[in-house]
Amino acid sequence: MRKFTRNVAAAMSLVAFTAAGVIADTPTRGGTLVTVLGSNVRNLNSAVQSGIVTGYPGAQLFASPLRYDDSWTPQPYLAESWDVSDDGMSVTLNLVKNATFHDGQPITSSDVAFSVEVIKNNHPFKSMFAPVENVETPDAHTAILKLSKPHPALMLAMSGQLMSIIPEHIYGDVPINEVKTHPRNNENVVGSGPFKLVEFKNGEHVILERYDGFFMEGRPYLDKVVMRIITDPAARAIAYENGEVHMGAFESLPRVINRLKKADGLNVTPDGYGGIGPLDWLAINTTKGPLADVRVRKAIAHAIDKNFIMKAIMQGTASESRTGIHPDSPFYSADVEAYALDLDKANALLDEAGYPKNGDTRFSVTIDFGWPGVKPQVEYVKAALKKVGIDVEVRASADFPTWAKRMGTMDFDLSWDTVFNWGDPVIGVHRTYDSSNIAKGVWSNTQGYSNARVDELMQMAAVENDMEKRKALYAEFQAIIADEVPVYHVNTLPYHTVYSDKIGNPPIGIWATSSPIDMVYLKD
Amino acid sequence: MMDRKTENSEYLEQASSPSAEAWEMFKRNHAAMAGLVILFVITIGSIFGPLIYPTDPFDMVWAPFSPPGEEGYLFGTDYLGRDLLAMVIHGARVSLVIGLSAAIVSIFIGVTIGALAGFYRGYIEEILMRVTEFFQVLPTLLFSMVIVALFGASLTMITIAIGIVSWTAVARITRSEFLRIRELEYVMASRASGVSNTKLMFGIILPNALPPIIVQSALMVGSAILFEAGLSFLGLTDPNVVSWGQIIGSNRQYILDASYTVTIPGIAIFVTVLAISLVGDGLNDALNPKLRAR
Repeated sequence: MRKFTRNVAAAMSLVAFTAAGVIADTPTRGGTLVTVLGSNVRNLNSAVQSGIVTGYPGAQLFASPLRYDDSWTPQPYLAESWDVSDDGMSVTLNLVKNATFHDGQPITSSDVAFSVEVIKNNHPFKSMFAPVENVETPDAHTAILKLSKPHPALMLAMSGQLMSIIPEHIYGDVPINEVKTHPRNNENVVGSGPFKLVEFKNGEHVILERYDGFFMEGRPYLDKVVMRIITDPAARAIAYENGEVHMGAFESLPRVINRLKKADGLNVTPDGYGGIGPLDWLAINTTKGPLADVRVRKAIAHAIDKNFIMKAIMQGTASESRTGIHPDSPFYSADVEAYALDLDKANALLDEAGYPKNGDTRFSVTIDFGWPGVKPQVEYVKAALKKVGIDVEVRASADFPTWAKRMGTMDFDLSWDTVFNWGDPVIGVHRTYDSSNIAKGVWSNTQGYSNARVDELMQMAAVENDMEKRKALYAEFQAIIADEVPVYHVNTLPYHTVYSDKIGNPPIGIWATSSPIDMVYLKD
Repeated sequence: MMDRKTENSEYLEQASSPSAEAWEMFKRNHAAMAGLVILFVITIGSIFGPLIYPTDPFDMVWAPFSPPGEEGYLFGTDYLGRDLLAMVIHGARVSLVIGLSAAIVSIFIGVTIGALAGFYRGYIEEILMRVTEFFQVLPTLLFSMVIVALFGASLTMITIAIGIVSWTAVARITRSEFLRIRELEYVMASRASGVSNTKLMFGIILPNALPPIIVQSALMVGSAILFEAGLSFLGLTDPNVVSWGQIIGSNRQYILDASYTVTIPGIAIFVTVLAISLVGDGLNDALNPKLRAR
């Protein structure tokens, strides 16, 4: 069995992790961290619910087998070590011996097996554990995940909020596919993470307190975490400025970010979102009318000025993204067609595609948007495409479900969209380009895009355990999708973490606050 | 001695018609005349402005947030570099059209319901007045937001939404006028001579009930413009047209960086609604027989 990562390697990584400055000062124990959630929480159990709002409390209440540092290196967490078999067909997790749930019951390998089944049957990210055929539990502290095919994405899927270990003795009293509605998801939660639930009042707050029986010696450093639910970005900004809250994540409004950057005593950073991988792009329905012609899609790309969007609309808070993989991901390749603003080229491509100007207009398309925050981008696209003779009608949706339905049924021409990578490309990237995933709801392959080579590359990369070979496969994949423009990739969604000077070890690894904050502490 | 025919003609020449009298009264009201002139200028500007200043309001003509006057752009540019002057001129057309159309919808609904209630009385009045009260107590902005959200933010739907939530005052005024006029002798005489109910309602009573309805209608145009601006500000607008409210709504997040992008269309709304209000007050004075007699 090939030792993929072992204790020693993990310890060395931890040293590097520390040396890299993530742990900058000597942590101190105690204190109450006041932090914010940007919207109401539907479910605290991250084993059955996706999303960044669930991820924050979820990752504190429940531990996962692994955690990642800011250089995408797996670290021991609930699993003190792990092995990937040489053929890549099984992953053995060696659990820490002293781990207990918040009710004092030991965390065992059967809880790991149970959690995998719950996630497979309830979590929307089916690709995370689809190749896991079963979980063998030879002893209480060894779980062997048996795979139907090599599945390197499993490593990232076992971290952050994606693989919460939940107690079988609590959630096993209902059929496995009903855990999503289990009453203990939001009250009397018995978790495995560094903090236990004190109180959850939706619309108001989630209050957590230190779990003294946490399996990591001396952790967590904080005594209590108060997550205030403040849905208005301006109100959150005031709370940060007034010192009412110490920390918050996923702030994405440019004017709020820039305002907070000027505030004394606050730190504002875009670091820590590579795992979440949020991307803004222009989705193109490749099956309809002129947009089915790749030359038209390229012309659209050449007519849109990314720099304008990043500077004028995003006010310098976002960075360029050229492909469907987030620039912070180790799989990102910038060596693709970048589509510089070139109206002459755009016009030439449209002429070549057989859409000459009839007066000022060549043809008309619609553009959709799902939430008001991206209306400026949509208005910009309308104005930009008019310059090359494409008349754009903006379609407002009554609400998010209306837009989602339009997208899911491919009832659109163009749409502004935001999609997350969720760690490994298998989890959040393939869904957009996979020809077997066309029109399977919002955030599937809503573009109707189909390319046999792209499918093949994704299939090969999904089972390739060699990191360098995977990168090469994804580099070719990115070059093709950039060339064929089923989606015009524009910029990263500018998620930022805001934290006061009083905070030590802010969560700026790859999962931001969708990871345990057991190392966060309050400075004296 | 003057014959009887000549005497009558001279008398008729000297006597002014009620409308002429009202116009004389209106002219003497300086504030109302000022409002009328302003409204005339705005209306002419909205009709011919786009021809004189043909810049497309959706074109990005210059750098974003160029202050007024810079590079020849009188009102400056917005967050996408669009010409604010072009947007305000084109927006006038949309704001006025919505204001007028919504007022027409309101008047049509209000007059119909008020006339039926006031004329027939009895259980018809009871039902129609309860319906009116129901709409009167609805939170109008919220209700119109729901209508626009459900059926889409097209200009037609916005107009209908405003019309649907704004007709109750017209209905109540119309009903009270009908209740008063239906008991007058000439109406009784017409009824006795066999005139049909429809002709009585719309041919005899309604023309005499018009003055307060006209005043209310004029004010309603102003409130409809404000209503549209409110909906646009909240994002409930047709994104393919420019209105003053939509300009404010789109630029509101930049109010601290470029306040003129919000102030200029705000002033346009203010001046227009003020002008309409002054005209409405003038009409109220001119068409009110009691005031006219003073």
